[in-house]
Parts: sequence; C-alpha cells; structure tokens
Amino acid sequence: MKKNATKPSAGLMAIVVMRLYVAQGAPNSVKAIANLEAICRKHLSDAFKLEIIDVLEFPLRALADGILVTPSLAKLSPSPSAKIVGDLSDRSSVLSALGIKE
Amino acid sequence: MRERLLRLVKNGPERRALESGQVDAVLDAANGKAFLLSDAERASFRARGKIENNLLAALPGEDYRGLFGEFELVTLTAGEVLCEPGDRIRHVYFPNDAHVSVLVVMLDRKALEVGLVGQEGMVGIGLALGAEISSVRVLVQGSGNALRMNAASFREAFGRCPSLQREVHRYAYAKLAEARQTAACNRFHQVEGRLARWLLMTRDRVRSDEFRLTHELLANTLGVRRAGVTNAAGVLQRRKLIGYSRGNIRILDRKGLEAACCACYGIVRSLTR
Repeated sequence: MKKNATKPSAGLMAIVVMRLYVAQGAPNSVKAIANLEAICRKHLSDAFKLEIIDVLEFPLRALADGILVTPSLAKLSPSPSAKIVGDLSDRSSVLSALGIKE
Repeated sequence: MRERLLRLVKNGPERRALESGQVDAVLDAANGKAFLLSDAERASFRARGKIENNLLAALPGEDYRGLFGEFELVTLTAGEVLCEPGDRIRHVYFPNDAHVSVLVVMLDRKALEVGLVGQEGMVGIGLALGAEISSVRVLVQGSGNALRMNAASFREAFGRCPSLQREVHRYAYAKLAEARQTAACNRFHQVEGRLARWLLMTRDRVRSDEFRLTHELLANTLGVRRAGVTNAAGVLQRRKLIGYSRGNIRILDRKGLEAACCACYGIVRSLTR
C-alpha cells in the first residue's frame, strides 16, 4: 500500500519526507496513521510527503530499511533523520523527532 | 514463539513500544517475514513490561530486560496448589497481584500456614539456596497473575545476574527473619494480637481492606482451633476494627488494628521492605 500526499510547500518550509511502516488493519497501526495524519494536518499543512508501507505485504522492504517492529515512523528528510516507534500518541515526541517546534 | 520475538527485539525504543503494548507486528530478518501479534500476545507483552512485583522492580532496568524473555505470564487461581512437600521445584513465581500461602504439612495431614507471598516476593526461593525439592505446600489464596520462570532458566539467570542474586538473598534473609519472629510471636503473644498481625500482613499483600479468609484457614494460620479464631475475631469486631461475615473480612480501622496487634507486625514489615 502506498499513499503519497505531495503538495507544494508553504512558503520556505522544507518538505518533511516520512515513511510509516504499519501492519495494515492492526489496532496500533490504525492509531498511528490517525495520529500522524492529525499532526501533519495541524503542523505541516501541505509540506510533507508520506509513504505508508504495509510490512505484511512488503517485509523485505521494511527489513532493508532497518525496521524491526510496526508501527514505526522514519523521518528521511530534512536531516537529521529520525525514527519513532509505537502508535504515535505521544504528540510532543513525534513533533520533536520530526524537528517541528510547537 | 513469544521468546523468539523477544530475542528479535532486544532493547531500545522497539522494546519499550512492545512492552507498552504499542507493537502490532515484528519483523524477522532470518526468514524475511513479519509476524502479526494477536490481541492476547500484545496484552501479554504489555503485562510483562509493567513490573508490579517489587523484587523484580528493584532490579536495574537492563537486568530485568535481560530476564524478560525467560518469563511467562500466568494466571493463578485461588485454591490452586503450586507444589506439595516432596515435589521437585519446577518453577519460580514472582506474583504481581496474586498472593499465595506457604504451608507446612504435618504427617497427620494437618497444615499450618507459615508464610504469605505477594507482590513483595517470590515463590521457589529454595532453588536459589541450592534446594531442588520443596519442603512446603504452596497454595494460591488470592487469584491474580504472576511471572513464572522454569527452574533451569532461573538457575542460569541467578548465576549470571548479580543484582538478581542480591535481591533474592535480601528477600531470603527477610523471610528467615520473619520465620524467627513469627516463631517467637506464636509462643508468646495472644491470639487477638496475632490475628490482627496476620490480617494486616494479608492486607499489605492484597493491597485491599477487604478480602476473603475462611475460619479454617485462619485456624491453620494461627495454629488454634476454629473456636479460638471465632473468639479473637469477635474481640476485634466488637472494637469495630474489622467486619467479618461468612469469610469476608473488611478492615474498618487500620490504625486501630495496628495498635491492637503485637509489635511483630512492625518488625516483620520493616524486614520485607
């Protein structure tokens, strides 16, 4: 499953590129998607690109990216890259990993 | 299967997420597959991540995580016998919210309760002291869950983990001191005071002012006849310290009950902290 939400960036804001690794339909993954969508809507408006990867379908891809469990969110750019594990309910940790100031 | 998943997720944020029940699937690089966790598996990992047992909670986080893979979360049911005198000790148990009685069984089958174990301690301490055979009956008094480890894994963990040795030795000493104190208490103190002590000790283990204890168990515990228990409970009841009906005990006045019990309660309590 792939979802791309690329839209022109707002002003000088760098586009945040992320990959979210999930197990499709599993409860924590569903929560992680909802939590991340809410954060993106509020803090990134359209300045983000998100790819959602279902590890049940693409396990080798996740393993190649160094993923051990789902849900895991990898922030790829801008640098520094970061990884956050879990259902992304801790909003301040997610914002900090994404380099967003509240 | 669970142990294998735990080996895949040794530590770091992945392990913390697993222990807080926030993981859905674990990836295994060895065979290139993802394992989806069931609801029960997620709950089990979450329960294991939460350290309720005081003895285990005293271990450094790193050491506890090192032992984590060897544990199995089990539900203990009131009335269940975990072992009988003469049985090989097959497991150790670290109760979370369950509590168990340790009983000495005499040749005429009469049993006397000589110890209580709840979240402050462990069952199967003999293994750490070189014993392989149980000398006591271990009976579940209060249903709940516990972390269980098999004897071979426990011996191995005990040999390699100094902090586990320290905590188990500390607990073993506290139990020894408690047994000495109780022996003296049983000889010198009145039944009311001993009953009050036992009720307070039970309360500390079950963490509730209300619990179930039958006359028979209390008689076994205190080494007196059932009539003796009725009299002693009547005295505490008339002083409005406890309510007692059909085996249900309710502590109405904890401070008052502490004042009514012999000094042994405070002494034993300070030992097991």
